[in-house]
Amino acid sequence: MSHTAFQPPGPRVEQEFDYVVIGSGAGGATAAVTLARGGMRVAVIEAGPWRDPNDYPQTVYGAMRDMLDAWGSNFTRGRAFWPIVQGALVGGSTVINSAIAVRTPGDIFEQWERDHGVGGPVMADAMWRIQDDLERELHVEEVPEIALGRSNRLARKGADAVGYENHYMMRYVKGCRGDGQCLQGCRSDRKQSLNRNYIPEVLKRGGSVVSCAPVTRILFEGRRAVGVTGKFRHPQTKKRGAEFVVRAKKGVLVAASVTRSPLLLAKSGVKNRAIGKGFRAHPGAPVFGLYDDPVDMNTGATQGWASIAHREKPGFKLESLSLPLDMIAGRVAGTGNVLMERLTEFRHLAMWVQACRAETVGEVRSAWNGQPAVHYTLSRDDMVRFREGLYIVAATHAAAGAKAILPTIYGMPYKLLPNEVHKLKEAPLDPRAYISILSHLFGGCVMGKDPERSVCDERGRVHGYDGLHIADASAIPTNLGVNPQHTIMALARHWSEGILAEA
Amino acid sequence: MFWLIKFAMCTMMPRTDALPGIADTDLDGFLRKMKSESEPLYWTGLVLGALVFVITPLITIGVPLPAFFLPMGLLQKHAERILGHRIYLLRQSALLVRLSAGMCWGADQSVRARFNLPPYGPDPGTFRTS
Repeated sequence: MSHTAFQPPGPRVEQEFDYVVIGSGAGGATAAVTLARGGMRVAVIEAGPWRDPNDYPQTVYGAMRDMLDAWGSNFTRGRAFWPIVQGALVGGSTVINSAIAVRTPGDIFEQWERDHGVGGPVMADAMWRIQDDLERELHVEEVPEIALGRSNRLARKGADAVGYENHYMMRYVKGCRGDGQCLQGCRSDRKQSLNRNYIPEVLKRGGSVVSCAPVTRILFEGRRAVGVTGKFRHPQTKKRGAEFVVRAKKGVLVAASVTRSPLLLAKSGVKNRAIGKGFRAHPGAPVFGLYDDPVDMNTGATQGWASIAHREKPGFKLESLSLPLDMIAGRVAGTGNVLMERLTEFRHLAMWVQACRAETVGEVRSAWNGQPAVHYTLSRDDMVRFREGLYIVAATHAAAGAKAILPTIYGMPYKLLPNEVHKLKEAPLDPRAYISILSHLFGGCVMGKDPERSVCDERGRVHGYDGLHIADASAIPTNLGVNPQHTIMALARHWSEGILAEA
Repeated sequence: MFWLIKFAMCTMMPRTDALPGIADTDLDGFLRKMKSESEPLYWTGLVLGALVFVITPLITIGVPLPAFFLPMGLLQKHAERILGHRIYLLRQSALLVRLSAGMCWGADQSVRARFNLPPYGPDPGTFRTS
């Protein structure tokens, strides 16, 4: 059918399809293409604009302006203000992430079954079968030799020397050149973000994409979801445009993100005590290593190395992550001449991160301005995990040959010598001592058997409503401890196949 | 409010023998763009961060003067202390100024050249309209 972008104020835009999918990220795009392949006419409604590689920004400033939800200014409310990073464009966070593909660990399905009455071996088999398909469709491959870069190689060397399992990443990338621009969108079009494949396929199969179109309300007839409404918003001027109404003959799938899906359900009048509850995340923080020879971390895959050796106990994962100079410049500690002196060492820095498999549970609420407010403060146990992860990263740098370790923790020295990394074991447990970000988010519309404690069932159907489904990470009731995109996509496809089977 | 933000940013990222300072970049253009394009919450936070930087020498170094009137040595000491202050809100507000300064400085062509990085092209800001 067609793509409808921003429409200025004027006549209402009206469409009618079999299914309406709110959101076009990992969950929404996968659900939409699955339904479209099953012969359904699908409309995808996306709050942000549709940008192609030629539209992608190059600077960090441009990425914040053009790609991040609310300019990246969403942050946790709690003891510490930690930014929450989410994509806000067609393709969602798949455009700005590092395209990491990790299969859902088996213990997750056991945990879901034990704690929430969903999941179990049947779901595991279905999801893994789907993940086989996703890996074929989206060209999942290990980072090729040419794209490794020195930072990823050093991480491998260090982890091998310390002696824990580690590997180069499997990613949804076809022929990576190692441009180091994953976070600003892959301008060389190698990354298989979903604005480049599934969303165009939805169009080819007779569907519709409505972009620049934040949904303000889901429409109901009785307890049946029958469509969505909102007003177009211009991506640059932020001005409101025409009203749109997209009617759904068969159902509405909500995949607006962990922070936005719960708010949308609440604003639409969905009655459920669990809405917004069960928020979880992988809070992450880096440790820099300073090396004698240039590392040039922006050469090579942005995230090309990982380890999940510590996923179960103490509970964190490790990854390389290269940030561009325009992000690092403000991130290195210090000011004035001292800061400028430290920045001269930029080419010699490698940055690796720990992402904590936190057990802390937070909540998504609506702020005074209608935006999501995530209430979340890491517990002491999680902070111990968090700190342990940073120590292992530091030890890995030391083993890789770093001449100094830069922990960037308030209350710690700027530099530690390799034989001083044990000092990190005594680093503060106050979250305010760390500059962390939350990138992998879960919950807010969690799935479960009990309607008192969950928003949707194990097929994504919202309890007590007809034709209303969840199809994003907001349904995931636990922290995965691995990168979530593969799980989100498999869950969305699994549930969409269920919808097709019922139709 | 540009002068306020510029003062804080130029204090944090001065020119040195080895590197250009933020004053050597198109900071005015950057701030104009940021004011018109950023979320109001972000811009407000930046202005407040710069304001806090200017009015807090009494708290950081015990000098009852706005930061403008401090000699260079004391100004640097103030900047260092506010970014490492025990009051979280104070150091976070200064951090927002430094992060924003870094975005401007690190994207500048002359700065990038010093690090053997290719120049950035424009951020087109374009999107599909049909």
